[in-house]
Amino acid sequence: MSYDLLIRGGRVVDGSGLPSYVADVGVKGGKIVEVGRLNGTAARTIDAGGLAVSPGFIDHHTHLDAQMLWDPYGTCEPQHGITSVVMGNCGLSLAPVKKGDEDAIVKSFVRVEAIPRFALEQGVKWGWNSYGEYLDALEGKLGINVGGLVGHIAMRHNVMGEEAVERTATGKEVQQMRGLVWEAMEGGALGLSTNRNERHMREDGKPVASRLADDDELFALCDVLAEHNGGVIETILGRNKIEHFKFYHELAKRTQRPVLWQSLQHRWAEPNLWREQLDAVAPIFREGYQAYGLSHTVPLVRHFELKNCQVFDEFPTWKNLMFLPVEVRKQAFADGETRQKLRDDLANPAPTNFHRNWNIVRVEKVVKPENEKYNGKTIAELGAMRNQDPLDAFLDLALEEDLGTVFWNANNGGDIDAMGEILRSPYVLIGTSDAGAHVQFGADFGYCTILLGMWVRERQVMSLEQAVHKLTFHVASIFGLQDRGLLRPGYAADLAIFDPKTVNSHEPEWAHDYPAGSKRLIQRSVGMHYTIVNGTVIHEDSRMSGDLPGQVLRGPLYRQQKVAA
Amino acid sequence: MGVSYIPIARVGELAAGVMKEVDLGGRQVLLTFVEGKYFAFSKQCPHEEADLQSAGQLIDGTKLRCNNHGYCFDLKTGECLLPQGGPPLTVLPAEEKGEDVCIRLEW
Repeated sequence: MSYDLLIRGGRVVDGSGLPSYVADVGVKGGKIVEVGRLNGTAARTIDAGGLAVSPGFIDHHTHLDAQMLWDPYGTCEPQHGITSVVMGNCGLSLAPVKKGDEDAIVKSFVRVEAIPRFALEQGVKWGWNSYGEYLDALEGKLGINVGGLVGHIAMRHNVMGEEAVERTATGKEVQQMRGLVWEAMEGGALGLSTNRNERHMREDGKPVASRLADDDELFALCDVLAEHNGGVIETILGRNKIEHFKFYHELAKRTQRPVLWQSLQHRWAEPNLWREQLDAVAPIFREGYQAYGLSHTVPLVRHFELKNCQVFDEFPTWKNLMFLPVEVRKQAFADGETRQKLRDDLANPAPTNFHRNWNIVRVEKVVKPENEKYNGKTIAELGAMRNQDPLDAFLDLALEEDLGTVFWNANNGGDIDAMGEILRSPYVLIGTSDAGAHVQFGADFGYCTILLGMWVRERQVMSLEQAVHKLTFHVASIFGLQDRGLLRPGYAADLAIFDPKTVNSHEPEWAHDYPAGSKRLIQRSVGMHYTIVNGTVIHEDSRMSGDLPGQVLRGPLYRQQKVAA
Repeated sequence: MGVSYIPIARVGELAAGVMKEVDLGGRQVLLTFVEGKYFAFSKQCPHEEADLQSAGQLIDGTKLRCNNHGYCFDLKTGECLLPQGGPPLTVLPAEEKGEDVCIRLEW
């Protein structure tokens, strides 16, 4: 056979979770056509010896609804092997919209997702009404594949105007919203999303519209998905305590659709909540219903020196020292009485976000060559090496180096054992990149490369095959993405080719690539050699090709309509 | 062990609701004046380190909202009000001493 693209000799990690194997992958017409020992010719051949070849990753939790209109790659998604994204999460979508209601939607995006208003005003050229028309506006202009959820907030404004942020809906209005859900699903939405998080307000301080919806309204909208047997229900309800799981259970049982809830991660302030959440969700799955918790792979890491450190601000003596002039601070750290106060602070049993566990804080980079033996050691290990109490070893090392020693700490997501259980759980959907949101405050495009680098290679909490499954077929299955997420003949040739020995993320950095050259944070990767969308290489060793092979991924009800037609 | 009063502004220098950035021992601190009192707090949101000079918004008098993820804090105590039990904002005691607004640090 003659191929458009032949990928030779890579280790195929096919997305199923089955053991990987060495094989060639033949691509033709945007599809994977053969996998095995292939002898045909090809327009292009990639030598993947020593590299992993997997399905492209699917980022199901983005807010790229606006960015995709000016950035066909959803930069930096492809740099991390992501070939498909889902927009419209947390109740926020750019459709359906009636003329005159656009600013109500913008107000919500600006505040909830911290997207600069001027970027939305300059970058979004409104020209659609229905959700299907919005997806139509993206057709032919995409570098990656894009699907979307219809947002409850837009639907409420569409039916109720500004009263959407002031009152509950009437029965007639709920019926109108049900019509919009159906219209959106017919137009290709992958499901619907809603938002009741009490922190989520509009730019003008009013609650986002979906917060005014009562349970009857929410259930009525979700029932549309149940009646037509398609789509997911994505939620951010601010309900992640155990008593709230009855609600998820009821919603999942009533609709028999996958329900997604936010979120689940180990935090030292509530160190057992994640396990209680998994225990609470297990009976829902045992009964045959689905309520997946979303979890992040990116620990809340702090690299700090005692010259400039907020890790210990919850402890009064520590906090006050950290604002003193450095020379005074050094004297205080060396003083016996002060050191006892620091010790007493940490012994106070009141719950804190800092874990007070010297097995977690590490020496990241010493200043003096003679201390290089401490690099990478935990503070507990440092104490053992220096035959000191860990706290004394921590402070003395810092003092020896003029407070220049760099330390590493992680509060949320820092417990390796807990994170391993969370990430492996079949009830957990990995990924809350929030790509396209909070653009001047953070960038988590790298959650996939961090999973493969930090959690698979360095911490070995799961196999490469399990991790790739979680990033690909697991997501495609839940979202009903046809022909995506597996590296098998007949499936779309969405592929990631990476080096398992080096793959990882860089720290976020500033770029000026938003509308009008405005700045935002981006995140680059390492070890991700090729990203291929529908058979076309779009990303090769950090360079973008400029090709636009992406497709709109339309949902099951759209596909049914097409078949019927 | 000791007590330090570190001057960071002149009394009357700040208009109500304005946030002034100052360096205190290498840390960035914001000072604001609301309801007739001075409040000093870390420039970094304790949730995900957003810059509160740009993301912070004073609401309902002495509450501060971080517009990155909507976390709200009581400037008097630092307590995280939304979501309840969230990480506290680092606050520092700001006092008028003569012509100066000072931060009182005790250790």
